[in-house]
Amino acid sequence: MATDKSSFQLVANGILKENPIFKLALSMCPAVGISTTVVNGLMLGTAVLFVQVFSSVTISLLKNFIHPRIRIPTYTLTIATWVTVIDLSLAAYFPAAYAKMGIFVKIIVAFAIITMRLEMFACKEPVKSSFWDGLGMGLGFMVGMVVIGFVRELLGSGAILGYDVLGFKPLLFFILPSAGFFVVGLMMGFFNWIETYYAERKKR
Amino acid sequence: MKMILTIIFRLTVSCLIAGTIMGTTFVFTNKAKKANEHAREEKVMYGLLGFSDDQESAEELALHEIFRYIVSDGVNQSIGYLLPTGHHGEDAGFSFVQLGLEGDFLDSTVIPLTEEKAREQGDRDAAVQAAMGSSKTARFVDQVMVVTEDGNRQAYLLAGKFPGYKTNIHIILALDPAYSIIGFEVMEHEEDPGLGAEIEQDYFKNQFKRKPFEKIKQLQVVKEPLPDEYYNALEGKIEAAAAEQIMLQYSDSDIYAITGSTISSDAVTSGIRGMTKKFAYRLETLEQVLEAEQIGVPF
Repeated sequence: MATDKSSFQLVANGILKENPIFKLALSMCPAVGISTTVVNGLMLGTAVLFVQVFSSVTISLLKNFIHPRIRIPTYTLTIATWVTVIDLSLAAYFPAAYAKMGIFVKIIVAFAIITMRLEMFACKEPVKSSFWDGLGMGLGFMVGMVVIGFVRELLGSGAILGYDVLGFKPLLFFILPSAGFFVVGLMMGFFNWIETYYAERKKR
Repeated sequence: MKMILTIIFRLTVSCLIAGTIMGTTFVFTNKAKKANEHAREEKVMYGLLGFSDDQESAEELALHEIFRYIVSDGVNQSIGYLLPTGHHGEDAGFSFVQLGLEGDFLDSTVIPLTEEKAREQGDRDAAVQAAMGSSKTARFVDQVMVVTEDGNRQAYLLAGKFPGYKTNIHIILALDPAYSIIGFEVMEHEEDPGLGAEIEQDYFKNQFKRKPFEKIKQLQVVKEPLPDEYYNALEGKIEAAAAEQIMLQYSDSDIYAITGSTISSDAVTSGIRGMTKKFAYRLETLEQVLEAEQIGVPF
């Protein structure tokens, strides 16, 4: 059963229609916990992007070899392998970023979005579609993290990418983890509003 | 039965593939990771000695490493010190001085080892073991650095660890020649964020600065609120000269515990007290022996 969507549709699907954070509401822990600044969101988003693409492609390649009864352990093993590879590479070549992100990178093993994409998509579809789907989902997660990070950094510390733009700190509350839920909630509403708006317009 | 075998076979193959990938990555990245850690340690050391990134360290500054081993022949134990004999960069080899537990001189042998190789634990251990022969075993314990400038001793750098609230806290401690504290830096810890992790903060770390050796010997933790003026001085929020004055005023006081983390504060305080006391005793014993036996060292 191959999907009939084009590669562009698959990527767009991950970023907009099925955005992991705003639409599927998966992997909320990192979305709320880490996205206090744009840079943090971008770094974790990039790590997740790599893991998602590598895992999707691997599972898609091996889908006939994996015994259907034991697919979950194999998924976990695949994800854990790629997370370890990314973790070791980051520690070796980006020590400054790793000092900040180290503990979060290891948690990617347990991210619901990656396992879910393997189960829903990669284990049924050809390698090429799985790659584009993984890329779309990873990008969707990254975009979500960056957007949340942008709002929280701007409102929480009055800065963007570390540069002070407002000159004062509007609401310290936005730095705290609980504020992550508020931002995610508002973003979800915004995404839904856009969707209904376009659906309405199409109808007319 | 066939199903079980298929599942076992496929899962095993998957694990083998995963293991190969992870192992290969580890081999490729390990060297770079070690280099990073070494660079970080060096940066911290120079930072403790008062050199920042943009400031070039003095040409005459030299670091001499002393490695401590415990030598055992099955019955008796002795302590072995691996000391450089030549100046920094000369590669004149090392001498291995053995002391009894009471500080009495036992033996001294020359070990031809380059500085580069002495830094690699595997190579160093093998060289020491070879010099000891097969009847004795030598076990590496720790290492300290003696910093000299133009031949005069400037500082001692000690790497050490002690149990914290949860796991071991690893620190690098800098002492001046009179064993007063120049400063210390936390390298690794797993204390609770917001509580024990505050040991990394300036207002705690700087309390140890310039504590004289006499005070360190009986350094305690007090559960009292940190005075405001002292806090500002420790955090560098007031002018350097005024801060200096206040720091001097408190140089004889005990360590003010971090609110809510008496155990972590106590762990660091007693850890540093122990490290300093033991180091001072060991170095003095070693120096007496070196002087009595006329063994030349570059520091």
